[in-house]
Amino acid sequence: MSVLIDSILAILAVYLALQCLLAPRLTQTVFIFFAFGLALALAWVRLGAVDVAITEAAIASGFLGVLFLDALRDFSFTAPNKRENLEAVHDPLSRNDTKSLLLPRLALWLGLGLFLLIALEAVWKIPDGGGLTAAAEALLPESGVEHPVTAVLLNFRAYDTWLEIGVILLGLLAIFAVGGIKLYRKPGVAADDPLLRQVILFFTPVLFLFGAFLLYFGKTGPGGAFQAAVLWGAIGILLHLGGRPVFSVIPRWLGQLLLTVGLVFFLVLGFLLMAGGGALFEYPPAHAGVLILIVETLAAISIAAALTAIFANLNQMKKEEPNEIESTN
Amino acid sequence: METYQIYSLTSAVLFVIGIGGVFASRHFIKKIIATIIMGGGVFLCFVSFAERDALSFADPVPHALVITGIVVAVASAAFALALARRIYQLTGEESFTNDK
Repeated sequence: MSVLIDSILAILAVYLALQCLLAPRLTQTVFIFFAFGLALALAWVRLGAVDVAITEAAIASGFLGVLFLDALRDFSFTAPNKRENLEAVHDPLSRNDTKSLLLPRLALWLGLGLFLLIALEAVWKIPDGGGLTAAAEALLPESGVEHPVTAVLLNFRAYDTWLEIGVILLGLLAIFAVGGIKLYRKPGVAADDPLLRQVILFFTPVLFLFGAFLLYFGKTGPGGAFQAAVLWGAIGILLHLGGRPVFSVIPRWLGQLLLTVGLVFFLVLGFLLMAGGGALFEYPPAHAGVLILIVETLAAISIAAALTAIFANLNQMKKEEPNEIESTN
Repeated sequence: METYQIYSLTSAVLFVIGIGGVFASRHFIKKIIATIIMGGGVFLCFVSFAERDALSFADPVPHALVITGIVVAVASAAFALALARRIYQLTGEESFTNDK
C-alpha cells in the first residue's frame, strides 16, 4: 500500500516537472510550479522530513511562486507579437536554420538520455555509509534542544546556518545592485479594496502568532527559524501589497538593523564563545537552549526582513520606468 | 522496493528533467524554474538517503543541509529573477537570442 502511494507521488512529481517546462503559456508554468512544490513537500512528509516539507511549501513553493507571479506582470505573456514569437520557437520547422539546429538538438537529447541512465545507476549504487544518525543521537542531550534537525541546524552545524543568513543578505544586496532602485520610498496609497484591507487586518496577527509558535516549537518538533521567518515575511509582503510598504514606514536605520541583526548577533556570539575558550559556536550545554532560542529569534527577524525587502524591491522594478517598458512592447 | 529507493530514483529523473529544461527552454522564467527543479532532484536524493540511514529518527544532517540549501536556492533564484527583469526592462528581450 505504501509503495503504491509513494509510486503515485513520484510519478506525480515527475509529471508536474515535465508539464511545468512543456506548458505553452507562462501562467501555466508558474501555477504548475506551485503544484510541483507542494507535491515535493508531500514526498518529504512521506520520507519523514517534516521540517523540509514546511520549508519547501513555504519558501520554495510559496515565496518563490509569489516572486514568479509578480514577474509575470512584467513579461508580456499575452502580447500578440510575443505569442507569434513563441510559436515560432515551438515549431522549429518553420525556421530557416532547421538543419543547423538539428544536430545540436539530437546531441542534446542523446546526451540527456545517457545522463539519465548514468544518474539512475549512480543513485541505485550509492554505498551504505551508515550516515550520521548515531552521532547526532548521542550528542542530542548536550545540544539544548530535543528536536534533532534543530540541534544540527543551530548547534552542531551553526556555522552553515550563520553563512546562510549571510547568503540571503548577499542576495538582497545583489538585487539592490541590479535593480538600481531606491527601496525606501514614501508610503504608497493605501489599498481601496475593502477585502484586501480585511485580509491584512485578519491575517497579520494570525501569521505573527503562528510564526512565533513555529519558532518556539522548533525546540521539540518540526519548525524553527526559517519556517517562522517565511510566515513573518508573508506579513511584510501582505502589507506591501496593501500599500503600506514596511521599509518606507520605519526609519532607515531601523530597517538596516532588522536586516543585519541576525548575522551580527550570531557572529558576536561566536566570537564571545571563542574568547571564553571554546570553539566558534560551541555553546556551553547548560545555556545552549536559551542561546539557541535567542539566535533563532533574531535570525528569523533578519530573514523575514530580507525576504520582505527582496519582494518589495522586485515588485518595484517595473513601476519606476513605465514609459520605457511600454515603448519596447 | 523500499520507500527511499522510489524517491532516490525519482530524484535522478527530476535532475535530468531540470537539466534538459535549462538547455531546451528559452524564456528566462522557464530556465530559472528548470534550475529549481534540478535543485529539487538533488534535495530529494539527500532526503531519501537520510531515510535509509534512519535509526530512531531519520538522519538529521541531510535534513539540515537541505533546509539550508532550499533557502540558498531561493535567494539565488530571486537574484536571477532580478537580472531577468532588468534585462527585459532594458532590452525587451525575454530569452537569450543569437540573432543580433
